[in-house]
Amino acid sequence: MTKDELLKQINTIFINTLDNEDVIVNETTTANDVEEWDSLTHIQLVVAIEKHFKIRFTSKEIQSWDNVGVMLECIQKKGI
Amino acid sequence: MVFNSFIFLFFFVVVFFFYYFPLKGKTKAQNWLLLLSSYFFYGFADWKMIPLLLVVTIITFFLGTAIHKTTNPRKSSFLTILGVLLGIGLLVYFKYFNFFIDSFSTVLNSIGLKTNPQTFNIIMPLGISFFTFKFISYVIEIHREKIEPSRDFVAFSTYIAFFPTILSGPIDRPNNFIPQLQKKRSFNYDKVVDGCKLVLWGMFQKIVIADNLAGVIDKVWDDIPDQSASVLFVTAILYSIQIYTDFSGYSNMAIGIGKILGFDIAKNFNYPFFARNISEFWRKWHMSLTSWLTDYVFMPLNIKFRNLGPLGMILAIIINMVVVGMWHGASWTFVVFGLYHGLLFIPLILSGAFLKNRKLKPNKYGLPIFKDFSKMTGTFLLVTIGFVIFRADSIGQTWEYFSGIFNLSRGFLNYKGSEIGSAVIPLIFSVIMFILEWYYREIHYPLANLGINWYRPLRYAMYYAIIIAVFWYGGKEQQFIYFQF
Repeated sequence: MTKDELLKQINTIFINTLDNEDVIVNETTTANDVEEWDSLTHIQLVVAIEKHFKIRFTSKEIQSWDNVGVMLECIQKKGI
Repeated sequence: MVFNSFIFLFFFVVVFFFYYFPLKGKTKAQNWLLLLSSYFFYGFADWKMIPLLLVVTIITFFLGTAIHKTTNPRKSSFLTILGVLLGIGLLVYFKYFNFFIDSFSTVLNSIGLKTNPQTFNIIMPLGISFFTFKFISYVIEIHREKIEPSRDFVAFSTYIAFFPTILSGPIDRPNNFIPQLQKKRSFNYDKVVDGCKLVLWGMFQKIVIADNLAGVIDKVWDDIPDQSASVLFVTAILYSIQIYTDFSGYSNMAIGIGKILGFDIAKNFNYPFFARNISEFWRKWHMSLTSWLTDYVFMPLNIKFRNLGPLGMILAIIINMVVVGMWHGASWTFVVFGLYHGLLFIPLILSGAFLKNRKLKPNKYGLPIFKDFSKMTGTFLLVTIGFVIFRADSIGQTWEYFSGIFNLSRGFLNYKGSEIGSAVIPLIFSVIMFILEWYYREIHYPLANLGINWYRPLRYAMYYAIIIAVFWYGGKEQQFIYFQF
């Protein structure tokens, strides 16, 4: 999957999980840029991404994401 | 040596003078001074524990470097676990050893096995619950690659032993504090004034409110069976105010003293009694502890249980809250206190309110809207129930207290023989404090901005009035509640 396509799908997951239609994410987006994105909703995003792509992250990976870009790289590393 | 004593004032004036004058601009020498004075301060309270503090500091310092150096992830995890176990081991040995032996033998006795338990006379080092948490977060943060290990042993030891925070927190994180030790610190008038105001506000909370309430509350607790329902009810509410003003007063003094020395220490309270539910309360109460536990207990568990849905989150929060309770000490009352708070999260998780962080929107008069106000009152009452469990010596005493509140045989409004009337003055001061807190809830503490636009003599009159109140009620040097933890 190309990065753009992946980003599009991730954006939809963000919109659905955070229950906010206006969320637009790019590779540099961090939790500080999205009001609803905090440490708790982060785990919900992880679960939604894992279900969507049928992959599994390690605890270390989940805690190391500083922005959406790092998250994307991590997903791509799993062969998506 | 408590902050509100003349001996501390003398000690601090000496440190302050050398820190900013002969050692001005010499960061390393300033750190040496802070380290030596911190060890002196700690030794003044408990000199026998200095070797322990020093040895654990040395071990953790080298563990941190080793975790960073190794390229083998397994070795890194092993060394981190070693560091965490060292911290937990210290806590278990000094705080919980006798509790485990006692509880274990009670269980064995209850199933008919006779035991003859031997408990040991273990003296708990002051501040152990606070500084061991600093050790643990240091090794974990290095393992998570969030920080690099400190190369400066003096700076690292100063971070652990920093005298304003060693006895009772706030539990500062290495990533916040260690870099500040490497920066130049010269006398900054505004920061010093800010620090002094914060110390004064803390003293007002501690001496004028908390210490004045302590006597009345202790007397009621010493003699629960003789108290009427309303006295017990009012005392429970007074205790919530006492523990808040005692601990946030202490924290403000610690943070203020840090500010005077040029440091920004982590905030510990953010007006917790304006919380509209328990989850909000814990984001505002003893924040340096709750954020620590969120990072190292709740989040890892929440990640582990993430596929269990709401049940996973409930499990994670209940375990986390029991740990919060037990952190305070080895007693079943603290376990129940934690469990009680954990259970209060369940409706919030199930309704989704746990995930929402709604900002307070006051009405056009600047007051909370009715819905928010009733939620704040409800949360305060729930928290007050928790503090009764917290204050009691045993579960039996908790039970005795609660049944007393619902026992009307001694009369509901019977104040005879009670000294509850002497709580009126500190209560008036608390009301003033809460009004100021509400008005200045967006900033760290009310006194920072109170009166800044006033006519100068008036503003100074206000500062002197607070100072006079502090001296008027001072002199008792009541111990801080959190020193025992």
